[in-house]
Order: sequence, then C-alpha cells, then structure tokens
Amino acid sequence: MKKYILIVDDEADIRALLLEFLAASGYRVAGATSAAEALQSVREDKPDLVITDLQLEEADGLQMVSRLKVALPDTPVILLTGVLFDHDVVHGVLNKKVDCYLEKTSSLKQILEAIQRLLGQPGPA
Amino acid sequence: MRDKAIRRFLGFFLLISAVLVVVAVLAVRNINRSADTSDWVNHTHEVILEAEGLRSALYAADGSWHTYMLTGDARDLSACRAALSNVDDLLEITEALTRNEPAQHEKFVQLRSLLGGRMEFIQQAVAARQGGKMETVRNLVSQDQAGTAMRDIEKKIDALKNEELGLLTQRDSASYLQAQATRCTVWTGVAVDMLLLGGVAWLIRDDIGARRRAVAALQVDNDRLEARVAERTAELVSANSRLTMENLERQWSNKALEHQLRYNHLIVDSISDLVIVVTKAMRISRLNPAVTHLTGLEAPALIDEPLSKIVRLLPAPGGADAPLLDPLAAALREGRDLRDQPASLEDVRGRGTKVRLNLFPLRDRDKVIGGVVTVHTGDAPGGAGR
Repeated sequence: MKKYILIVDDEADIRALLLEFLAASGYRVAGATSAAEALQSVREDKPDLVITDLQLEEADGLQMVSRLKVALPDTPVILLTGVLFDHDVVHGVLNKKVDCYLEKTSSLKQILEAIQRLLGQPGPA
Repeated sequence: MRDKAIRRFLGFFLLISAVLVVVAVLAVRNINRSADTSDWVNHTHEVILEAEGLRSALYAADGSWHTYMLTGDARDLSACRAALSNVDDLLEITEALTRNEPAQHEKFVQLRSLLGGRMEFIQQAVAARQGGKMETVRNLVSQDQAGTAMRDIEKKIDALKNEELGLLTQRDSASYLQAQATRCTVWTGVAVDMLLLGGVAWLIRDDIGARRRAVAALQVDNDRLEARVAERTAELVSANSRLTMENLERQWSNKALEHQLRYNHLIVDSISDLVIVVTKAMRISRLNPAVTHLTGLEAPALIDEPLSKIVRLLPAPGGADAPLLDPLAAALREGRDLRDQPASLEDVRGRGTKVRLNLFPLRDRDKVIGGVVTVHTGDAPGGAGR
C-alpha cells in the first residue's frame, strides 16, 4: 500500500512540483494551501507524513505543526524554509519542534531521502 | 522461395502430364494395331475354315455323284447338285476372303481352276447318267479311278491352309508382341509417373520443411526483436523517468532560488537604513527603497551614477580638508570594511543630512567585486549642510 503524504504550502508552484515529484516517486499525495485546510485534511484522512512550509499566509507553519502533533503525535513532519542566516542555531531550534527541517534550496533527492528515512523505508513505497 | 517451389511443382506436374499423354498415345496406337492384328487373325481363321469347308463340300459332291452313278436315283441327283452348289458358294466366299492377299489369291485361282475342271467332269458324268449313256458313264468313272484330280485339289487346299496357318502363327506372334508392348508402355508410364510423383512428394516435403525452418527462424527473430523492443522500451521508460525527475529537480531548484531571491529582496527592501551596492569604481549598481525615500531620487536617476552624487564622507574632526571619497575607494580597493563613518546624505533638492556610513566589500571567492554601503540616519548628528 502506498504511503500517504500531505503537502502544505501556500505557493502553488512549489506545492505542485512537490506533488508531482512525490507521486512519480510512488507515494499517494494530497496538497493543502493553508494551515486550516491542512488540519481538516489531517482529521479526515490521516497522512503517514506531512511536509509544510514555515511561512503560511494565515498561520505560522510551526503553530500548525504544534496543533497537528496534538492530533497525530506519531505522524512525522518535515518543515521547509527559505535560507536562514544562522543556519546551525536555527536548525537546532527547529529540529526540536519538527522531525526534520530542510531549506527549500535542498534538492528533491534530499527531500526524498528525508521522507524515506522518516517512514523507515529503503525506497519509495 | 515460394515462386521457385511453385515453378518446380509445375515442372513436375507438366512432366507427369506429358508422360501420361505419351503413354495414352502409345497405348491407343498399340491397341489399334492389336485390333488390326486380331482382325487379321480372325480373317485367317475364317480362310482356314472356308478351305476346310470347301474340302468337305468337295468330298460330299464327289461322293454324291458316285452314288448317283450307281443308283440313278433322282434324290441322289438332287443331293449331288446341292453339294456342287455348296462348292460354288464356298468358292465365292473364299475368293472374297483372299482377294486382298495377292499370294493367297494366286493359290486360290489355281485351286478354283482345278475345282472348275472337277466340277465340269462331275457334271459331264451326271449328264451322261441322266441321258442313260452308261458306256460314257463307265468310261468317265474308269478315267477317275486313279483319283489324281482330287489329290491335286486336296494338295492345293492343304497348301492354302498351311500358308494360312503360317500367317496365323505370324499374326498371333505380332498380336502377342503388341500386347506386350502395350503392357510395357503402360507399366513404364506408370513407373515413371510414380517416380515423378515421388519427386513431387519429396519436393513438397522439402518445401514444408523449409517453410517450417523459415517460420521457426522468423519466430526466433521475432522473439529476439520483441526482447530488444522490451529492453529498449524499459530503457526508454527508465530514461524518461530519469529525465522527468531531473526536470522536476531543475524546476524545484529554480523555484527555490526564486523564492530565496524574493525573500532576500524582501529583507533588504524592508530595512529603513539606506543600502547601496556599488561597483569597484564606486558607481551605484543597486539600491533599496529607503534611498529613494530619503533622497527623493528614483532608482533610474541613481543607477550607474557615482556614489558621491548622494553621499559623501565628512572629514574627521580636526582632520585635513582632504578629498572626501578617497577613503571609501581606497578601503574598497584594499578590501577593508569602513564602519560608522560620519557622512552627508544629499537629497534631490541639494540639502545635506548628517548620517553614519558603513562600507562592506563584496567578495566572490576572495576577489573584491564591489561593495555595499549602508547609511544609518537614526543617531547621526542632525542638521542640514556640510
């Protein structure tokens, strides 16, 4: 059975690219444009993993992750951000709140490796 | 290959047909000859039969005239005449039968001459007996005592019969040979046709074998081709998948860079301090909105203009009245930072504002390619003019 991944990003281009890439990599995927939509989707169809942007229009991505972790504490979350200035410090902080933190300049291959690692897979499901 | 096989089959069938035609022609000709020979045999038998009949009729006539001579009875006379008439009839038949055979006919003519003489003699004797001339009758009977005439006639009939028997043997032999020839022709034809049919069967078998081998070879080629197509398709699918992934990766990279660039712009544009990027020649290449806000000059009016158009370093307190921008150019050339330097910012109306200035050289792989000037207005000593 294919693993289900929810992608939360208010930028349509970024979201569409991730959806296409992960679908081509063998995952069942769905997209959400806001934190509210993401939380509703999580309640209706529990994902195996969530990828979310740090900066969403209506709410901070980290706030959404906190609420998501209450509902689904075991669901791994990957946080995508732009390049931050003090990488090491921010990395340490963010990694305490999410399961994985990646900058958007990371390659898709790196994102896929992170997904596989968090789902305990040797490769795509 | 198919055309060649068809040509070979047609050749064989033509040969078989030709052999059948030849055999049929020869057989018909031999049967006709055999029929002719058989006719001749029948004819010879008929001649022999008629010759024997002639001999019997002659003996009957000879016996009946002797009887009549002795008895003088009218019934014996009638029998004698009937026998003579029978001899005449048989003579005519025999003549008709030997008419087409010159040698036989010649013998028949001699026989008829002898028979004619004999029958004339018998009729003389009969006439004498009827006339009651017994002396004449006695003379004629005594003349015939030796029976020479009858022996001659019999010899001729025997000769004719023997000749016909010889011909019969000869024609029988010819008929047998023709039958043999017909038999031989038919069997030879059948044997040749069987051989040709055997050849056709071999050709058909060979052709079927060749076709099977061709089909098998074609199947092998098809399998190989299908395997290659499948392999190639798998390679293409794999390559397509790889290209799709590479394309997605490239798009992702571009989007990430765009995103990052926009984010960086937002950061720079949101700063209230003036941020001015200069070339190594100290000409303005980029600026943030704060510059326009404070100087009243739009970006197009400032790009590629010297930095001194809007900002100058103030001389250090108690320092000499040296050229104002040289320290900036020198610091940039040497790759040094200048921090918190007193400076004057000039707006579009030529009014000066005291500010604090920082210069940071821009390095690309340890090579200075320009500099960033930030101008802070907050805690600078106020006042217009220099």
